[in-house]
Amino acid sequence: MSSPRLSSPWRIGVDVGGTFTDMVLRDSAGAVHIFKAPSVPADPSQGVLGVLRLAAQQLDLPLSALLRDCALFVHGSTVATNTILEKKGAKVGLLTTEGFRDSLEIRRGIRENQWDHRAPFPEVLVPRYLRQPVHGRIGADGKELAPLALEDVDAAARLFADEGVQSVAVCLFNSFLDGTHERSVGKRLAATPVGKWVSLSSEVMPTMGEYERGSTAVVNAYVAPTVTGYLRTLDEQLRQLGLPRSLLMLQSNGGAVPVDQIAERPVMLVLSGPAAGVGALKGCTDRPETANLISVEIGGTSCDVMVMAKGEVPVTDALVIDGYHLTTPSVEIHTVGAGGGTIAWVDAAGLLHVGPQGAGARPGPAAYGFGGEDPTVTDAQLVLGRLRPGPLAGGVTLDARLAREAIDTKLAKPLGLSVEEAAAGVVRLLEQNLLHAVERLSIERGHNPTAFTLVAAGGAGPMHGCVVANALGCQRALLPRRAGAYCAMGMLQSDVRQDYLKVFLADLDKVEPASLEQAFVELEARAGAFAIREREVDLRYEGQQWPVRVSFKGIDTAAARRTFEAEHQRLFGHIQPGGRIDITALRVVGRDPLDWTPPAARPGRSDKPKPRETRKVWLDPANGWRDVPIYAGADLTPGCVLDGPLLIEESTTTAFVGPHDRLEVDTRDDFLVHIGARS
Amino acid sequence: MTDALDPVTLALVQNRLDHISLQMGWVMTRTARSPIFSQSHDFSCFISDARGTLISQADGIPIHTGGGGFAVRAILRDFKDAIAPEDVFLLNDPYTAGGNHLPDWVIARPVFVAGKLVAFACNRAHQADIGGGAAGTYNSAATEIFHEGIRLPVLKLIEGGKTRADLWRLLLLNTRLPEALEGDLHAMIGSTRIGAERLVLLVEELGVERAGDFFEGVLAHADRRFQGCIDRLAEGVWCAEEAVDNDCFGPIDSRIAVALTVKDRRLIVDFAGTSPQIQGFKNSSVANSTSAVFMALASFFEPDLPKNEGAFRSVEIRLPEGTLVNARAPAPMTMNTVFVAHEIVHVMWKALGQALPERASAGWSKAVHSVTAGLRPDGGRYVMYQWAGAPAGGGVEGRDGFHLIGHLITLGGLTLPNLETYEQLYPARFKRQELRCDTAGPGRFRGGAGCDYEVEILTPADYAFRGEGVGAPSSFGSAGGRAGSSGEVILALADGKEIHAPKYGVVRHEPATYRALSPGGGGYGDPMTRDPTRVLRDVRDGIISAAAAERDYGVAIAANGRSIDMSRTTALRAPTSRS
Repeated sequence: MSSPRLSSPWRIGVDVGGTFTDMVLRDSAGAVHIFKAPSVPADPSQGVLGVLRLAAQQLDLPLSALLRDCALFVHGSTVATNTILEKKGAKVGLLTTEGFRDSLEIRRGIRENQWDHRAPFPEVLVPRYLRQPVHGRIGADGKELAPLALEDVDAAARLFADEGVQSVAVCLFNSFLDGTHERSVGKRLAATPVGKWVSLSSEVMPTMGEYERGSTAVVNAYVAPTVTGYLRTLDEQLRQLGLPRSLLMLQSNGGAVPVDQIAERPVMLVLSGPAAGVGALKGCTDRPETANLISVEIGGTSCDVMVMAKGEVPVTDALVIDGYHLTTPSVEIHTVGAGGGTIAWVDAAGLLHVGPQGAGARPGPAAYGFGGEDPTVTDAQLVLGRLRPGPLAGGVTLDARLAREAIDTKLAKPLGLSVEEAAAGVVRLLEQNLLHAVERLSIERGHNPTAFTLVAAGGAGPMHGCVVANALGCQRALLPRRAGAYCAMGMLQSDVRQDYLKVFLADLDKVEPASLEQAFVELEARAGAFAIREREVDLRYEGQQWPVRVSFKGIDTAAARRTFEAEHQRLFGHIQPGGRIDITALRVVGRDPLDWTPPAARPGRSDKPKPRETRKVWLDPANGWRDVPIYAGADLTPGCVLDGPLLIEESTTTAFVGPHDRLEVDTRDDFLVHIGARS
Repeated sequence: MTDALDPVTLALVQNRLDHISLQMGWVMTRTARSPIFSQSHDFSCFISDARGTLISQADGIPIHTGGGGFAVRAILRDFKDAIAPEDVFLLNDPYTAGGNHLPDWVIARPVFVAGKLVAFACNRAHQADIGGGAAGTYNSAATEIFHEGIRLPVLKLIEGGKTRADLWRLLLLNTRLPEALEGDLHAMIGSTRIGAERLVLLVEELGVERAGDFFEGVLAHADRRFQGCIDRLAEGVWCAEEAVDNDCFGPIDSRIAVALTVKDRRLIVDFAGTSPQIQGFKNSSVANSTSAVFMALASFFEPDLPKNEGAFRSVEIRLPEGTLVNARAPAPMTMNTVFVAHEIVHVMWKALGQALPERASAGWSKAVHSVTAGLRPDGGRYVMYQWAGAPAGGGVEGRDGFHLIGHLITLGGLTLPNLETYEQLYPARFKRQELRCDTAGPGRFRGGAGCDYEVEILTPADYAFRGEGVGAPSSFGSAGGRAGSSGEVILALADGKEIHAPKYGVVRHEPATYRALSPGGGGYGDPMTRDPTRVLRDVRDGIISAAAAERDYGVAIAANGRSIDMSRTTALRAPTSRS
C-alpha cells in the first residue's frame, strides 16, 4: 500500500481507552488518518508509543519525523480515572481543622441509590487515623478567629512519615474564604519528609463546602504521584523522540492544557476522555457557535449523553467518580449502562431486561467466542443481520452461531419467543434505554429535544441513531463517519481552556462595583496568558441551594439579572420578579481558541454508489425482515443521497438508516440522516 | 388474559411506566419553589390504573412507598361518574381522603383516552406550611388534628380544565407561606400534566382495550417477584415489638407490636397488641402504616423490586382501629411519617429477621436534632435544621452501619448540609462534627457511630426539640449484634449552666452552645466473629476503644496500638472464656 502524502505541520490526538488506544492525525490540508492499537493498562504510555509507531509505519515515516512536524499533540487519558477505579493511588494523609476531620467519611450521607441500603459506601480514601486535626480557625467572614497551631502540623507530619504516607491533602474550615492558613501548612509540610506531594484545597478548587472541597483535594492527592509521574515521563519521552512542544492534556472541562499546568491538579483529568465530546460536537457542524446538538456516545457498555445548546455545553462543579465527589469544573455528561456489550437477561419472574450490566472486553459478547454465555446487544444485532459475521477491527471475530445459541438459551426459550423475536426485543429495549437517557437530561435542563440534531457516535452509536432520533421527534440524526474514534477526533478540536474561581458572597443589587471589579481583575491576572478571558458569575435567589452560572460583561449587574432570570425560567419554569439575587462565586474562563480548518471534503462522485451486497435484515416491528442494501463507507462521498433502509459498513462502525429515512453525505463527509424524509 | 401478552411489549411498558413517574419527579424538582421539594426530595410521583391500583412509583421518598392507591381510591369513591377529562383532584386528609398526614398533599389527574378513564397521574408532596398551630407544619403541642393545619377532603381543584378560583384562594388563605404553596402546587399540577400526556401516548400505542391487560401484566410480574421473596422466608408466626416511650408530653409505656405470619406463599402482617393511640402527634394513619410496612418489606429484599401494589398482593395488613398504627379521628398525626413509621419499620425488620436471619437488618438509631429559629443580625428570620447532628444506621451482612446519616424512613436519602454553607446562612459558629467513640452497636458488622455535634448559636433563639433518640438506646442489634449507645442533647448557656434537653418542647435562650450527641446504630451478628483486622482498624480510627475491643469483640490490641495481639485474641475468643 502506497503511503499517503502528508502536508506538514499536522495535529495528533491520542485517546487511551480501556481496550484500544485511538489516534487521529490531521494534516494542514485537512486530511484525516485514524489508527488503533491495543491499550497497555499496566503502562498506558506504551499504548501511546505503540499507536504512534503503528502510525509511523503505516505512513511510511520515521517516528521522529512524525513527531517533529506535529504542531499540536493533544492527549486524553483514563490514567486518573483508572487509578481511582482500581484503587491504586497513593497512601494519603489529611489535615483538617480540629473538630472536622470526619467530613470526608460522613460524606453528607450521599448514596447513589437510596433504596440499596445494603451496599456499603466506597472505601474512604483516607482512614480516620490518618486524618489529623490542626488547631486554628478562619471565621465565616474570612478573618482569623484563632491562630494556626503549626506544632500540630509538625506532629501530623511525624505520624505521616511513620505510617508511610506518600501524599498529603489539606482542607481547613472556611479556607475558600482565605487560604492563608492552608498555605502556611503547605509551607511547613514542604520542609518535612512528607512534603513532596501536597494538595491544598484552596488551591485545587476553592469552592464553598468542606465535604466536596476536601474530597477533591484528597482525590487530587491520591492520584497525583501516579498521574503526574506518568505524564511527565510520557512528555519527556515524546520530546526526546522529537516532539517540539509539550503535549496538551484534555481536562474534564472539555479544554486542553499543557502538561506542566496539569501537574499540580491532576484531579482535573477524571473526565479526560469523554469531555472530548465537546470538541467532537464542534466538529459536527458548520456553525458551532449556534449549534443545537444532543450526542449519544455509545461504546461497549455505556452511553454518554451530552447537550450542546446554542453552541454551549454546560460546565458544572459536580462530578462523581466511583462514589467520590469532586467540585472540579466538568462538562455535564449523563451516563447510562447501555452499549454494544450490554447484557440482556430474564428475571426470576419472567421479565426481559437489558442492562445495566455489561460483558466488558472479556469475555465480551457471546459472539466473540471468549467464553461469554450471556447474550448482549451485539449478539442481537448479529442475529438480526445488521452486523456482518467475521473479523472485526482489533482482532475480534463475530461468530453468529454463538450469538444465536446465547439468545436462544437465555432469552428466547424462557420467554417463549423465536430467536429472532427475542433479538428484536433486546434491540428495542436498548433503544428505549437510550431514549429515556436523552429525555432525562433534556427534561432536567429544560430543553425540547425536537429542536436538536441527534449525534450518534461511539462504535455502536450509528446503529441506533436513526431510531432514537425518530422516537425523540428530532428531524435529523448525524452519524459521524469516524464514530469509533469520536473522542480522539474531539481532542483535535478542543480549545485550550482553564477555569478560575473565587467564592464571592454578595447581594447582586447592592454589591460595590469597585470590589467586584477588583476581584475579577485578580482572577483575570491569573488567566493572563490566555487570549480570551470570559467573566462568569454564579447567581441564585436568596435561600436556594444551587446557583445558576451566567456570563457577565464588565460589571453590568442589571444585565446579569436579566440573563439569570431568562436562564432560571428555562431551567426551573419560574422566576421571582424583583427577588433578591445573591452572588456566590466569580469565575474567569481563559481560552485559546484552536484555529482549525474543517477536514478536507472528499470530492463527490457523479455516479450513484452501488451497494456491495444485499442482506436479510430485521428493520423494525412494523416492517420485519427485508432485503437491505449494504454499502461500503468508502463508496459514499459528499453530496450522495440515498433512501433507507440501508446499512453502511465503515472501518470503526456500522450505520443503520431506517426504512422511512433519507441519507445525505454532508460536506464534512459525515452521514446526515433526515428522519422520516424518504421520498 | 395476561398469559397471551407479548413479553417484549410487557417489558417496554414496565420501563415506560417507571420512566413516566421519574419524569414527573424531574419536573417537580425543576419547577418547585420550596427547598423541601428540590433539596430534601420529600415527595413521590406515582401512577395508578383506572381502579386506583398503584402501577408505578419509581420515584419518591421511601416512606411514601405503595400508599398512593388509598388517595386514588378515595377519589373514585367520592366522585364516581363525576370524574371527567381535564379534572385535577386535591386531597390531604388522612381520616377521610386516603392521605398519610396533613402536610403531604396529593394532586391526582385522571387520564382519559377515547373517552375512557385509563389511569391517574399523581404526586404527593410535603408543603412548606399549611396553617395550624406552628409554622412549618410540625406542631409538637398538637392534641387534635385541628391543631395541625387545614384538612382537605377529596376536592376537585380543576374542573374541566378550569381552576376553581374560590378554592385556590381558600388554600392560599390557610398558609403562612402563600408564595411557596402556590408555586409548589403549580409544580405538582404541571408534573401530572406531563405524566398524563405521556400516559395518553402509551395507552394509544397499546390500544385502550389492551392497555389494561398490560397494566395487569406489570402488576402480576411484581406479584411473582415478591412471591419469590416470600419463598425465602421460613414459614411460621414471627412476633416483634418496639417501645414508644413518650407521647410528646411525658413518658408513657406503649408499644408497636406485630405478628408476621408466613404461610402458603402469603404474608399476614397483624398489629394486634399495639397500644392505643396517644395524645401527641405521632399517631399513624392507614396509608402511612401501610407505606411503612411496604417500605420495610421492599428494603428487606431487593432494591429493584417493582414499587407497585402488585408487589404486595400476597400481603395482608391488619391495623386495629384506635391504636398507634390506625388512630381514630381527631387524633393528631403529623409526625407519623417519621415516628411511629420508624418503629413500624423496626418491628417489621425484627420479625422478618427471624424468618430469614441472613437478610436481617439491625436497627437505625433515632434522631436527636432540634430546630433553631431566631433573627439574623440583619433582622431577617431564620430557621436552622440541625440535621448535621444526625443519627446512625444499623449493620447488615457484609456492611457496617452508616455513621451519621439521614432518617431511617428515607433510608438515608436526606443529604446533610455542609457546615461552611450553614455559617454563611445562619448566625452560628461550628465547633465540631465528629464520630463518637464506643457508640456503634457491636456486631460482626457493627452499627454506625453517632456524632458529637457542637455549634455556638450567636444570637437569642428558639430551640424546638425533637429528641426521640434521647434516653434509652433507639437502635437494636440483630442476629447476635447489640444496640448502639443512646443520645443526648445539651444546651450550655453563657453563665455556664447546662440544660439537658427534653424530647419535645420549645424553649427560648440567649446565645448558647448547642451540643447533640447522636445515638449509634445497631450491630449485626456476633461481635466475637468480627474480622480482627476490622476491629484493629476501628481501634486505630478511634471508633472503638481498645477496652471495648477486648470486652465486646474479644480482640486484644498490642501495646504499640498498631497490631493485633493474636495469642491473647485467640484466648479471648475461645469458647470457654465467652460463657
